[in-house]
Parts: sequence; C-alpha cells; structure tokens
Amino acid sequence: MRRPGAARRAGAVVVLLAAVGYLVLLGPVVVVAAVSLSAGQFLSFPPPGLSLRWFRALFANREIMSALATSALLATVVAVVALVVALPAAYAVARLSFPGRRALADLLIAPLALPTLVLGLALLLALQPLKLVATWPGLVLAHLTLAVPFAVRILLTAISAVPADLEAAARTLGAGPVRTVLRVTLPLSAPGILAAGALCFLVSFDETVISLFLVGPRLTTLPVELFRYTENRTDPLVAAMSMLLIGVALVVVLIVERLAGLSRALSRE
Amino acid sequence: MIGWLLALPALVVLALGFGLPLAVLIRVSLNRTVETGAMETAFGLQTYRKILADDFLGQIALDTLGLAVGCAAAATVLALPVALAIRAAPRGWQGALALAAIAPLLVSGTGRIIGWLAILGDGGMVNALLLALGLPSLRLINNWTGVRIGLTESLMPYAVLVLLAGLGRLDPRLDEAAATLGAGRVRTFWRVTLPLAAPALLAAFALTLVLGLSAFITPKLMGGGRVFVIATEIFDLALETVDWPAAAALAMLLLLGVGALAALRWLLPERSR
Amino acid sequence: MHLLLERLSKRFGRNPPAVDRLSLAVPRGAILALLGPSGCGKTTTLRLIAGLERADEGRVRVGGRDLTDLPPERRNIGVVFQSYALFPHLSAAGNVAFGLEARGVPRGERSRRVAEALAMVGLADLAQRKPRQLSGGQQQRVALARALAIRPEVLLLDEPLSALDAQLRDGVREEIRALQRRLGTTAVFVTHDQAEALALADLVAVMNEGRVEQCGTPEEIFETPATPFVAGFVGRSSRFIGVVEAPGQVRIGGIALAAAATPPPGPAQVFIRPHHVRLDAEGGLPGRVVTRAYEGATALVQVDLPFGPLLAAVPAGLPVRPGDVVGVAISPEALRVFPA
Repeated sequence: MRRPGAARRAGAVVVLLAAVGYLVLLGPVVVVAAVSLSAGQFLSFPPPGLSLRWFRALFANREIMSALATSALLATVVAVVALVVALPAAYAVARLSFPGRRALADLLIAPLALPTLVLGLALLLALQPLKLVATWPGLVLAHLTLAVPFAVRILLTAISAVPADLEAAARTLGAGPVRTVLRVTLPLSAPGILAAGALCFLVSFDETVISLFLVGPRLTTLPVELFRYTENRTDPLVAAMSMLLIGVALVVVLIVERLAGLSRALSRE
Repeated sequence: MIGWLLALPALVVLALGFGLPLAVLIRVSLNRTVETGAMETAFGLQTYRKILADDFLGQIALDTLGLAVGCAAAATVLALPVALAIRAAPRGWQGALALAAIAPLLVSGTGRIIGWLAILGDGGMVNALLLALGLPSLRLINNWTGVRIGLTESLMPYAVLVLLAGLGRLDPRLDEAAATLGAGRVRTFWRVTLPLAAPALLAAFALTLVLGLSAFITPKLMGGGRVFVIATEIFDLALETVDWPAAAALAMLLLLGVGALAALRWLLPERSR
Repeated sequence: MHLLLERLSKRFGRNPPAVDRLSLAVPRGAILALLGPSGCGKTTTLRLIAGLERADEGRVRVGGRDLTDLPPERRNIGVVFQSYALFPHLSAAGNVAFGLEARGVPRGERSRRVAEALAMVGLADLAQRKPRQLSGGQQQRVALARALAIRPEVLLLDEPLSALDAQLRDGVREEIRALQRRLGTTAVFVTHDQAEALALADLVAVMNEGRVEQCGTPEEIFETPATPFVAGFVGRSSRFIGVVEAPGQVRIGGIALAAAATPPPGPAQVFIRPHHVRLDAEGGLPGRVVTRAYEGATALVQVDLPFGPLLAAVPAGLPVRPGDVVGVAISPEALRVFPA
C-alpha cells in the first residue's frame, strides 16, 4: 500500500466510529439493566449501590403484576391466532397461483405501512362506538392488525424455502393436498413458523402506542403501565419494569436468531 | 380463487382491524367540532382548513420535519460505520455483531428511553461526569436535545438493517481491487465504498425519515411534555382534548405527508429503492 | 398400449406452447425415453403424465383408465425427481413408507414392503439414515425405492442420472434397467443425453418445441431419422444442402451421389453418418484429410471434399494423416435426404 500510515488510520476510524455506534445502540439497555439493580431512589447512573429492592417492589406491585399477566396472556392469544390466520394466507401466496396473488400479498402486509400512532387512533375511533375499547376483543384485534402482517411476511419466506419438488413428490406418492401440507410443508417450515410465533408474541408484548389508545383503567398492559409510570415518576422501578420487557425481548431475539436468522426475518425484502 | 379463500381469515382480521378503522378515521376527519367541544356529523373539509390555517400547528409541523430529517440523517451516518464494520468482520463474528446492532429494534422503546434518562438526566451519567470534572451541568432531557438523541438511537437499528441488506450486494473484493491499484483506505472509502453504498444510504435515510416523522414515544418521554411534534399533538387531541375530527384530520395530513415521501422514493433510480 | 398420451397440450402464460398436441403410446412393461434439448417440453410432458400440471387439452390414459382429470395422488404413478425430492425430515425408510401410509397400508405390511423396497435397491442397512447422511447415488436409490414401493402403474424418471458422477452412471443405469425389467413396470424417463436414451430405452421419442419429431426403437431413431431435426440431434453427421435431381440421385455442389431413398425432386438437405463413410476406396471421390481424432477403436477424420467438409469414422488402424489425399466412398444407404 502506498500510504500505510493513512490507510491504517482510516481503518481505525471506521472501527472507532462503529464502536461509538454500538455504544449508542447498546448503552441504554446496559444502563437500564444496571439501574434496575440500584439501591438508590432515583434514576441515577452509576447507581449509588446495588440491591434487588426495586425488583422486590416490582413483584409486590399488584397493578404492575396484573398488567404483566394481561400482557403475557394477550401476547399468547395474539401469537396463536396470528399464526392460525396467517398460515393459510401465507401458504396461498407462496404456493398457489391464482388471479390477484400479488395484490393479496400487498394487502396482507399493508398495515405495516401505517404509522402505529395513526393505526391506534383509527382503531380508537372505530372501536369506541362498538364499545370495544378497553376490552379483550378490542385489544386482541388491535394487536392482530400488526401481528398478522408480520406473521405473513415471515411465513412467506419460511414456506417458499421448502422446495416445491417435495410437495410434488408427496402428491405423486398418494398424499392429498391436506396431507401434503401437514406431513411435508409444515414440518419443514416449522422453524420459520416458530420464529414467526415468537416475533408475534413480542410484537404484542412490546406494543405500546396502539395500546395507549385502547386500554382502560380496568384493562391495561405492561408497556402502557411502564409508559404512564415513566411519564410521571422516574425511580428505578421503571428500570426494573423495563427489564421484564427486555428479558422477554432477548429470549425472543435468541429464539428467532436460532430458528430463522434475525436480520433475514426482519428484512423487508 | 382458493387462494383468496385460504386468506379469508387473515383478510377478515385486517378488514376489521385495518380497513374499517381507516375508513372511520377518514369519515371522522370530515366531521366538525362545535363550540361546546362536541362532535357534529358533517361532510366537509372544514377541520382540515382549520388545521392548515393554525400557525401553532404549522410551527409544530416544521419542527417535526426538522427533527425527523436531522435524526434520520444522524442515524444513517452513525449506522454506516456499524454496517461497514459488520461487513468487514471475520465470518464468525458477523452474525453476532449484526444481531447486537439489530436486536434493539425488538427491545421495548420505553425501556431504552429509560436508559437514556439515566444517562442524560440530572442525576445521570453525563452530568455526574461533568460534576466530577467541576463543569456546569447540562440539561439534556425534557427538551429537544434529549428527543434528538433518543430518536436518533431508536432509528439506528432500522438504518443498520437497511444498510446491511444494501451493502450485502457490494462485493468486498472491490475494496481489495482498489487497494491493489494503490488506493489508500481513505481514497477507497470516498471513491469506491461510498458511491456504491449511496443507494443503500438513501434507502436507509428514507425509511428512518418516515419512521421519525410519526415517532411518538421518544418525543413524549424525552421531551417531558415540553416538546411538541405532530404525533404528540394527535395523541393529545384524541385523548386529552377529545377533539376527534381534529385528531383524525391531523392524522390524515401526517399520513399524506408520509405517503408523499414514500412516493418520492419511486422517483429514485430503480436500484436504490 | 399401456400408457397413451392423446394430443396433449400445455401452454404457460403467453409463451409458445410447452407441449403441443403431443401423442405417444408405450406398451406395458416398456421403457420410453423422452429425448430432446432443454426447453423442448419433455419435463412438462412428464409432469402432465404425473398430474403435476393440468393439460389444456388432450388425454392421459393408463391401462385404459382416463387419468386426465385426476389429481396426482389418485393416479398411482411413481416419480423419481431430478432433485430426488427426498423428504429431509424423514429417514430412508420413512421416505419409502410415505406413499404406503398415504394409501393406508396396515403397519405390518407397510414395514415389510419398506424393507423389501430398500433391499431391492441394496440399501437395507441404511434404512434409518436421513437423506443428508446418504451419498448422491444412495439418495437416488432411495428415491427409486420410494417411487416403486407404491407399486405404480407407470414409473417416471426426470433426468435420473444427471446428478450422478460419470463413474456411477453406467452402474445405476443398468440397475434401473434391471429393476424395471424384473418388476415389469412401464417407465418413461426424460433425458437430454442421447447415449443414455439409446442405451436404456426400448423406445425413444425425440422431442422438439413441444412436439414428438419421431418415436421408435433406438436403432430406428439412429439409422432412419424421420426428420432433419432427429438426424441432426441424434448421433454425429455431416449436413449438406443439395438438390434431388431424379429418384435415387442427389447433387451436392456439382457432384452427383446415389441415394437409397429420396424425396420428390427439388432442393434437399442431406445427412451422412461418419460410420457409413469409407476412405480407402479405389476410384472414390478424392478428398484431403484435414484432422484426425483418435477415439479408441475408431478414429474420426475430417475430409475436405469439393462440396465441403465430411466426417468419417474409420478403423483406428487405417493409416491416414492430415494432408493425405484419400478416396472417399459413401454408400447409397448412408444418405438421409430430406426436402429443404
């Protein structure tokens, strides 16, 4: 190389800038984890001492625990329903040829193009007259509107990855369309299906903006509780609460990475 | 036809959760709010006119655009070295590095804001450091600065994701080729890497800009109620003032703005989309 | 006839038809090769027989039964895919059992037939292996066992040897042939390799642009091609443009040649197989040797004649070298003459 000094410095600059990038990306999460273990009264960093007092306070807080239970149940229901509903749709788009296939594919992921804030407002305006705000059906429907397109997108990739020859082979061996799907397509796309389920769970479990429009005093979710709490007070309890959400997110990230590859699953292409 | 039949359950869900609400949103935006604050059924653009004539909202729209453009640009620029480093890393590390950069996307946005509050807040890391150095403390939250920092970070994973996809098609041997031709790394970066990465950078900027325009959680929490953007305004109109026609009309205008930006992308050359 | 295809047509979108009014008949127990260049419609024909594509027109009959409107699972036609299409999540035995399960064969009989089918292809020991733990040749045999275990009326093979190493091919070819003979299964296979088609098949159908150019025994296809396409596609030959002057006489570039069979007088194209050409004829056409390629028992020699270059396959011992002038003799039976 002609100018080894300058070249090495330029390479170092990229690495240095990347390190800054990672610091920005991961810093907040690391700090939240540290603050959740704080012995102090405030959101200060470094914490004055370490203790589990805020986790004890967290688990003793009736409202937060009830919101956690609601969120977990809601996310489970949403993930299951989203998979059940999205699977046949994704299969149709991935495998069948019929008029309007492309249009259907676009339609199925259209809600993802809408800002969640606008979607939340629209859902509020539509569900209020139907008396569905702050009800389970209302929340499930709202979260499904995000989870179903997500599931469709991931399942499309998973099902398309199963070679069409395998389904053809099953048919020639005497298996009907249903048996072929159950014995060949589904088992072979199982990792993608599980990844889709995990991501749908997380989409619902983490969903804040749409929920803010649709919860009520009787029925609220953990992210909404966290948001409201953070708006009013800032003590390490919010950090401990965040750790619940972050912990679940990490588990899901690892599951998805293991099963399908995270960047592939999230990529829009 | 069997295809549409199989998609029917999904279509029903989306019709109820997406189609119907969107229709109601449009319909409500055409209603009017009377003096008492009650909503009156109407069929006109009077609410839109009122909003467009409102100087306060006009200023908020400009502020929002400025915030989104700045944060999208910052997120894209900060994400570039991250994406380049991932690409240049040894094979075994690439997966873990990409995971670490993209995973924040899935971590609760509020949780990350709380991290920023602990870093930038009055008792936070930065001010503790300044205090230790005997310097005056800085107000870094409950104002635009905090919102800018938080929003930039929250947009970064998206930019990394788009850049990784875009740069994936870039042959790393091009760098080597440039090096064999005697170009130093600085020259290679400016003459080879950057021009080839330009479409991906543009795509990353476009996506983060759209997301930034409608960002809500970060301005609300980092702004501490002192920073107003279109999104917080829509939220307050809907849930505090309960002026639904205004909330709906403002949401429609936001949607139109975002849509116009998305449409601009189609004017770009094919490969940069 | 056991397998009958009657004027089958299939078109994808606005492209020219992939299969165009194709008719074929295969006697019970025979093995037919569909031979043709890529894109000639041979694989589509196979998929039409299997029911994996729906014919736009025409009928498919097996043993007198009309299968045209039946889905693949009700046709009882075994298919060995070019990719083998083994189920990666099932063992070799699981793959072979798949078709029997779908047919509701009871457990006891099922395992007996699975063992039998795997033994038949010599893989009894590897029954529990997953496909990825098997070599290419072994995978191919599992695919064959799987297709045969359902006791199909017709066995279809798509380029069965293309994914195998050259050394394995001859062996597998013989195995397929022996199995098919023993079981008496009617079989159709697709190939672009004429050597494979001629060696393995009882009947060869040469396809071009969705149609059958000629269907006959390997000898018929090779020795008496029915169309210029077949003459050019199968085997080596030299091609000339000439004129049929009178029955039994063709003129090429000023030289009159005798031909055993000719179309009516008029412009013609003439194909000459190298092995019908002799170079040691007293008083033959004088020609100059251009190149000589040694091929084992024979040597392939290119000779320049006044009307163009001609290929000749001669005994390897014949002492001709580039530059030599030789006497070329072409027997009248060697000329295949088609109207131009």
